[in-house]
Amino acid sequence: MPADGRRERPSRWRRVAVAGALGLLGLAAAGPLLAPYDPAHAFRDAGLSAAGYPLGPGGAFLLGTDPAGRDELSRLLAGARPSILVALGGSLLATAIGLIVGAVAGFAGDPLIDLGGRRLRLPVESLLMRTTDVFLGLPPLLLALALTAVLRPSLLLVLLVVGLTLWTTVARVVYGRVHSLRDAPFVEAARALGVGPGRVLWRHVLPHVSAIVLVYLALGMAAAVLLESSLSFLGLGLPPAEVDWGSMIAEATPFALVDPRLVVLPGGALMVTVLTFVLLGDAAAGPVARGRR
Amino acid sequence: MDRWTAPRTGRSRRPLALLAASLALAACGSASPTPAGSAATSGAAEAGATPTTGGTLSIAFQGDIGSLDPAIGYDTVSWPAERLLFDTLVTYDAGTRIVPLLARTMPTVSADGRTYTFDLRDGVDFVRPDGSVLRPLRAADVAASLARLLDPKLKPAPDPAGADFYADIEGADAVLAGTTSTLAGVKVLGPTRVEFDLARPDATFLQVLALPFASIVPAEVAGEDTTAFAAHPVGSGPYLLRSYTKGQAAVFIRNPHFWDASRAGPDEIDLRVGVDGQAALQQVEAGSLDLMGDPLPAAAFGAVTADPRFARQVVRRTLVETQYLAMDTQPPAGSPLADVRVRQAIAQAVDKSYILKLVHGAGVAAGCIFPPDLPGYDPSCDPYPYDPAAARRLLAAAGYPNGFSTTLYTDTDDPDPRIAGALRDDLAAIGVRVDVVAQAFDTYLATIAAHKAPLAWNGWVQDFPDPSDFIDPLFSCASAGVGNSSNPAFFCDHAIDALAARARAEPDGPARLADYREIQRRIMAQVPWVPVRFPDYYTLVGSRVRGFALHPVWIDDLRSVWLAT
Repeated sequence: MPADGRRERPSRWRRVAVAGALGLLGLAAAGPLLAPYDPAHAFRDAGLSAAGYPLGPGGAFLLGTDPAGRDELSRLLAGARPSILVALGGSLLATAIGLIVGAVAGFAGDPLIDLGGRRLRLPVESLLMRTTDVFLGLPPLLLALALTAVLRPSLLLVLLVVGLTLWTTVARVVYGRVHSLRDAPFVEAARALGVGPGRVLWRHVLPHVSAIVLVYLALGMAAAVLLESSLSFLGLGLPPAEVDWGSMIAEATPFALVDPRLVVLPGGALMVTVLTFVLLGDAAAGPVARGRR
Repeated sequence: MDRWTAPRTGRSRRPLALLAASLALAACGSASPTPAGSAATSGAAEAGATPTTGGTLSIAFQGDIGSLDPAIGYDTVSWPAERLLFDTLVTYDAGTRIVPLLARTMPTVSADGRTYTFDLRDGVDFVRPDGSVLRPLRAADVAASLARLLDPKLKPAPDPAGADFYADIEGADAVLAGTTSTLAGVKVLGPTRVEFDLARPDATFLQVLALPFASIVPAEVAGEDTTAFAAHPVGSGPYLLRSYTKGQAAVFIRNPHFWDASRAGPDEIDLRVGVDGQAALQQVEAGSLDLMGDPLPAAAFGAVTADPRFARQVVRRTLVETQYLAMDTQPPAGSPLADVRVRQAIAQAVDKSYILKLVHGAGVAAGCIFPPDLPGYDPSCDPYPYDPAAARRLLAAAGYPNGFSTTLYTDTDDPDPRIAGALRDDLAAIGVRVDVVAQAFDTYLATIAAHKAPLAWNGWVQDFPDPSDFIDPLFSCASAGVGNSSNPAFFCDHAIDALAARARAEPDGPARLADYREIQRRIMAQVPWVPVRFPDYYTLVGSRVRGFALHPVWIDDLRSVWLAT
């Protein structure tokens, strides 16, 4: 490994990733405003051929229309918001849960407490980490099925499913890190000086975890986008009246051979978004790999 | 549906497959000998060619076989398979005329219409799956087979539709109640002569005897365990079951002891399951599959029918099916749907021509309940034409000038969600805000059966070509109970029930059909449905398939098909 860290990883990709992520955020914020038409409006005459098939790109509809005669471009733009919202919200939720569970389990361990002479082992670490293992084995689609049986499909439900299934990786990674730092000399030194456990965790341990958490936050967004579109594809995602890329792919599947455009466009948008978040994760990983503080 | 294997939950008569809009299924009954627009028969150029024997025919369905036991297998995959293994006393010709099968001739019917006497064919053997002969068919097998069908102890469970179709046979009640296992109304008069006594005249009796439910089986082999019998079926039909792997395929081979030794046809029939319509279409185009069990997917319809390569391989029929928007006529207190003016407003808000456009013109707009090829069809019946302005006035008169909110249920198979979306937009135009919920087919049926769907996008395919099959299961008080999915409007009117009971018993003829038209008119006056579309059924058949026509009742009639060599 070259001694000069700055040459080791070109920063061009980081710029691309950050620019891409900002662009996506902008799209999520402004997408519906940029849409030339109401994404839900079916153009019964103008939007379908005489035989009832979607129109190709060109003319009044820049990217053509979908099988119901709605403007494809408007739907792509409107679909960006739920996809990206779920990416951000779901990944933040998952990371927050994972961080708390992993840090508490790794730092507290299974402490012995004194109950008026009786010493009791409190299984904090065991309980939290075994729970994590249970969730690790939980198939996200099954969880989604169970939740949709109780609740109506909604954005919140999708967020919940994404958050509840993606947090386990973060918890495992954070737990490993914190666990190995718990007995590090500088942590023991802090303890010996009388610093309370909360402050030790916050000021001395967590800063060493923050970089890796950022990496997982970015990668979680990519996973969340994919999971959200899978749920929508299966009809477990957003209610049918709303649009997102996953449900656009699902609706276009019967037409995949007749008019591949209908699958390629939302699929391409999905791919670019996932790629951007993966690059963002990579970019965040750069400093971690170099051990920068 | 994967759908085509419709779950059996109803108490009353259910269509085979029925349902759902998707429905795809089904058939058309052309009552007239040469219905307009029906049926290209495959291999039309070879019409008149002599059928040949040999080869392996393949057909693929999305849904699996519900059961190969004819007492309970009741869906569009099971029926074609059952008809390879078993025979009935009578059957349909290429159209909807009843002809003898195991019966030597058509039965003699008593003047009061309550007694039918059959003479059975000689030389019919029951054959085991391994090709060995069990024993010859006897008249007693007819009585035993029908008694078995009505047996409440059938495992895992009898099909309620099966029982319902044959409830008019004298003594059926006692067998259904489990007090006896002998069906008093089927009398053995000799080794090959059997008589049916009916509790009341029934114009549809020969039609129900032609259904696979009434297949004649050797009762001592069939027993009460339908799972065991389905695994080793013993019948008198033209094929034997060589193997069946759940979720994959059933393989049928020719029955060397079949009673009609001159019958031509493939040596082997491979029935594959779990193949979706899109995949099946590609396989037929590539020549690796002979027949698609399910209809041509709506989305691919335009491309395939316009392709000159397939011009001779596309087979079309008008279905005897009605697709409709059901409206709950017994909604919870306070629901706007309780008001007939609201239901009429919804009926007048639906732009059927646009829905036909969405399905690329496959079918015609429906004005009333009976489809064009059903006896009793009334072309002048169209009480609620599209008129959104009138619909808004009706809503206002009913006290909902600003509309209301409700929920529309549909299944998830294309094109149903797209049609539901069009209905939502139509109703939004008159101020009715509709939440569309698309559910997997089984879940959707359960929602309807639980009486939880204010609006449901649905379809009904005939079991047999008689208007009673579009009234009794769909609009009777008996079918309007929780647990039954065949009457999604939960329509119940005792006066109409009485008219329907009378019409069902009437002798066939113009007077009976006029009565059914009147029943249809009176039901439509209460607007339980918005009839939307009488669909067409299209399929693509392989280039070497001969003799295939979509059958009005069977849809896929594997008994008539042969392969060009």
